[in-house]
Amino acid sequence: MAKTAADWNAPPKFPASHYVDSRIYTDQQIFAEEMDKLFKPSWIIACHESEIVNAFDYRLFTHPTGVPLILVRGDDMKVRSFYNICPHRGNTILYDPAGNAKRMTCIFHQWSFDARGNCIDISRAEQGYQDRFCKEDAGLREVKCDIGFGGFVWVNLDDSCAPLKDYIGGAMDILSPYMVEPMEVFHFNRAIVETNYKLWHDTNSEFYHDFVHYFNRITGMMQPGYYERKYTAFPNGHATVGSMNIQYDKYEGSKERSVGWPGLAPGGWYMVDLFPGMTYNLRTSVLRIDTAIPLGPNKVAIEFRGLGLKSDTPQQRAQRIFDHNTIWGPFGRNLHEDLLAVHGQGRAMREGTDSRYVIHGREENSTIHDEVGMRHFYAEWSRRMGRAAYDPMREGRREPARAAA
Amino acid sequence: MERSQIEELVYRSCLALDDRDFKGFLALCDAAFRYKVTVYSPEIRKEMVWLDHDRAGMETLFTNLPRHNSDHAPLVRHATVYTVKMNGTSAEVVSALQVFRTQLDGGATELFGVARLIDTVKLDGGAPKLASRVVRMETRQLGFGSHIPF
Repeated sequence: MAKTAADWNAPPKFPASHYVDSRIYTDQQIFAEEMDKLFKPSWIIACHESEIVNAFDYRLFTHPTGVPLILVRGDDMKVRSFYNICPHRGNTILYDPAGNAKRMTCIFHQWSFDARGNCIDISRAEQGYQDRFCKEDAGLREVKCDIGFGGFVWVNLDDSCAPLKDYIGGAMDILSPYMVEPMEVFHFNRAIVETNYKLWHDTNSEFYHDFVHYFNRITGMMQPGYYERKYTAFPNGHATVGSMNIQYDKYEGSKERSVGWPGLAPGGWYMVDLFPGMTYNLRTSVLRIDTAIPLGPNKVAIEFRGLGLKSDTPQQRAQRIFDHNTIWGPFGRNLHEDLLAVHGQGRAMREGTDSRYVIHGREENSTIHDEVGMRHFYAEWSRRMGRAAYDPMREGRREPARAAA
Repeated sequence: MERSQIEELVYRSCLALDDRDFKGFLALCDAAFRYKVTVYSPEIRKEMVWLDHDRAGMETLFTNLPRHNSDHAPLVRHATVYTVKMNGTSAEVVSALQVFRTQLDGGATELFGVARLIDTVKLDGGAPKLASRVVRMETRQLGFGSHIPF
């Protein structure tokens, strides 16, 4: 039965933990709070160690809060992170997204910095500053940085944050056996979509949307073991998805993947969703990493990385790239469908459309079409935000304890 | 073989893809046709391959399209043949390519991507045929992407 306005605006007939108010996707104030309460104190993947192999290799990363960062490997081979902001006149220090810079020199007034964040040269310092200001006063702002969980470089803007391993907890245990060999990035691209970042993370946190993917229906949903895949929730809003044996040869023109992954069963596929917007996706022969970088309530940049093993032969690497591109490349079968779907959500839920609620009501004993992954995320979101996702405009109202059930 | 025949082959290949006439596109291709999309990433400082198919792979890609959920906004390819270097039985052709996407609702057109087409054209048959095409992408940010290659 179609709904009247009153019906439409009435909360869904589910427990409050099983739906969210769509204003969490559109409200500017909530978005600003998310940057401060969720992203600023969280560990975020900035790049992979294979992108900065040599001393003085650097990589730029725009943190979800908007802070421009430099990731640089020092002369001691340690990776550090600094604001890409000159402490003199606030200019950008490094412009190219990656490179090698023994000295990081601001083009504006030629102040130079080393890979440990020290200022090593101020042009005409004595003439201008006499003894009032010197190099020691002009260091770069350093940001917490750690490498882990497959060689990824993580950053945290909060100087008093808990260690990375504490933030991740046991969420990566399911993937740890497969993260032993050194890996290498072979694919990077960034998609900007007019949708909320949480809607992208939702897509990675529920498999009910496999209905949008012909490839996944044929190779997964219609195959044995699919409905036994289970979600497991972890502290801090993380969740994992168990594996199955994907039947790649069921898709026309496709075949069983000839290159596997050390220790992973043929056709295996594990996923780990990390709060507030990162996903590890190890699918048979390729690891894909998504990092969501919100640009506004209804705009997100998603950085996609594809990784193989550093020890790959050229033939193995070519096969991994082929496997990756078939479904996950910018012209791949699945990525376009996922992005199109969240674009559609952004279009329907943007401010002013009178969208009201989004239902996360499926309960199937935490198996693959259960929406517990999203419920778990929004329970953590509500806890950190001090707002209930189902009633976000009433501050201080928290999600009920059963949220993650 | 006249240069104009080779240029027309490039332009007809674009028209066929614009019209989603995939059979027509493949009819312009040699049996040993190979199609690749490549791009350099300044972020990871690596050459990337975004698509790599032989003729059978392209046929499968096209055949499977109706089974997938795709954006239906039409793409229009605007190519300009820059150079044609004939070498007996084949020619190396370099063209500039701009791809525009027109929204179905309202008809607004936006630039979707720019690339260079690097074609090898077979000349030893009756008509020139595409032996290979490398789409050398410049654009790396494609929004929600596309199921139909350039």
